[in-house]
Amino acid sequence: MVRLVVLWCPTLSREGPRGEEPRRFAKVLDAAVELAPFARPVRLGVLAIPSKGPSRFFGGEAAFAEHLGGVVGPLLGGAGRVCVGAAEGLFAAVLAARAAVLVAPGETGTFLAPWSIATLRDPDLAAACQRLGLHTLGRFAGLEEARVLERFGLDAVRRHRVARGVDGELPGLRDYAALRRLDAVRHRDEPREVQRGFFGERGGADVRAAAAVHRLEQRLGQGAVTVARLGGGRTPDDRAALVPWGSVDAASEARDHVAPWPGRLPSPSPASIPSRPLAVALLDEGGHRVTVSGTGLLSAVPARLEFEAGRPRLVAAHCGPWPMAERWWGVSRRRAHLQVLCSDGLAVLLRAERSRWWLSGIYD
Amino acid sequence: MFASRPELPAALATAIRPTAPASSRLLPVAEPLISLFPDGALRRGGTVVVTGSAGWGATSLGLALLTAASTSGHWCAAVGLDDPGVVAMAELGVDLRRVVFVPRPRGAWAAATAELFEGVDVVLARPPARVAHTAARRLLARARDRAAVLIVLTEHRDDWPVPSELALEVTEAAWHASGRLVNRRAVVRAVGRGITGRPRYVSLWLPGPEGAVGVAC
Repeated sequence: MVRLVVLWCPTLSREGPRGEEPRRFAKVLDAAVELAPFARPVRLGVLAIPSKGPSRFFGGEAAFAEHLGGVVGPLLGGAGRVCVGAAEGLFAAVLAARAAVLVAPGETGTFLAPWSIATLRDPDLAAACQRLGLHTLGRFAGLEEARVLERFGLDAVRRHRVARGVDGELPGLRDYAALRRLDAVRHRDEPREVQRGFFGERGGADVRAAAAVHRLEQRLGQGAVTVARLGGGRTPDDRAALVPWGSVDAASEARDHVAPWPGRLPSPSPASIPSRPLAVALLDEGGHRVTVSGTGLLSAVPARLEFEAGRPRLVAAHCGPWPMAERWWGVSRRRAHLQVLCSDGLAVLLRAERSRWWLSGIYD
Repeated sequence: MFASRPELPAALATAIRPTAPASSRLLPVAEPLISLFPDGALRRGGTVVVTGSAGWGATSLGLALLTAASTSGHWCAAVGLDDPGVVAMAELGVDLRRVVFVPRPRGAWAAATAELFEGVDVVLARPPARVAHTAARRLLARARDRAAVLIVLTEHRDDWPVPSELALEVTEAAWHASGRLVNRRAVVRAVGRGITGRPRYVSLWLPGPEGAVGVAC
């Protein structure tokens, strides 16, 4: 299990009537990400950081915890208290933050033992265990797993594993609704100011455009208005993306889209890129499927192109294929692109991937 | 006190003239497209309807109309194009930093377009179906009121029910392929106010070998 440092801000854990807690916690989160890039929120007021990297960098876990508390403390003003704890697994680390202790490595089981059974966030299980005289996590953890499965079912087994310190992910510990709201807050407020025009200035036109987009977003919802971002890549859909207006991605200028990319598909690029993958059938004269061999050659000359709907089209000419074998070091991807010109003037870009043909673009 | 007011230098006089000259009511278009327009530019408050059979380059033509406007600093928007070829736009010469997209306006494309007129100079819209007469009228009035340009992208001329300032139609399109798709020669017919007599035909590279628009010989 990963050893985690958890930071808990009690004053920000519950949303108040003014609803400013998510915004203030987002600031805390940003400060923590500055210190340790893998800081992630768990729920409102709680964030977790894998201990290993930052501990080595700051010279020990205690030093890191102290530094983190020192950075976050001033952000909360006078009233806010900051608790930092560390332990193996998320559940134990959150409890450690509540107790504000750094549990020594390997001591997590002993640390968990005296905590109440109610910390497992299952009232029915807690009530049943209390009646059985199992008041603490340690007593519950002492049961055999098979007996727990018999008596309480599969869900209780997961909690039993958490109580034993084998698993850290207690169901319900991460508050996904709060995390989504936090995400919206973080990506909406600050970068909106960063969307700048030429030379970083904001003219009157930019302000008016931003206001119009803002009103439109209120009408259609967050993320309905997008801007384009160009990046590096070989194919049109790799090279460009539509990202929500005002998001972090939108603000960062594309740097490398002018750099040469060996193996890039030739210009001109298709004017329409389907947003969903569309399967098509490419057939030869005899009605057999055209395939691309491992050496990047077509099995036959394409004669007919069939879309899922609509009449089949006759292929007048084709260019390519351009085979691509990418990312052999990771999730490898093999595909081949083919430009097909139909007899009615329609030109499309097709992609052979996973032994099927897909529509990659329309030269409209 | 002054017997005679000193004469202003001519360059300064034009620079400080308070009334907007006619040219500021025009938004620039890319050079190869100038001959399509009676004024040589997009007229603020006007509508341009771009039509053409699927795959004949109507989308490219519509996107090409945004090039010079966006590079000269005017904000542009594309409404209802759920599949824009962003790389193709960059190759055409559109400044993507000045373009916002509303790819899926969820049935409210007219309302979205009207909202964008408040802050955007050129709106390229692709209506999902035939536009109702009243909705079109309302959009026209809004565009005129806000001095914005509306470019409507449809497959058939009839999908836009009210007369437009200018109607561009791709009437012919043929790709030239040599090892790859090199360029497409498209003939565009321009009909509208200010074009007297017969419709004007212009043949274009839409797009040219590097993706930009050019005048075909």
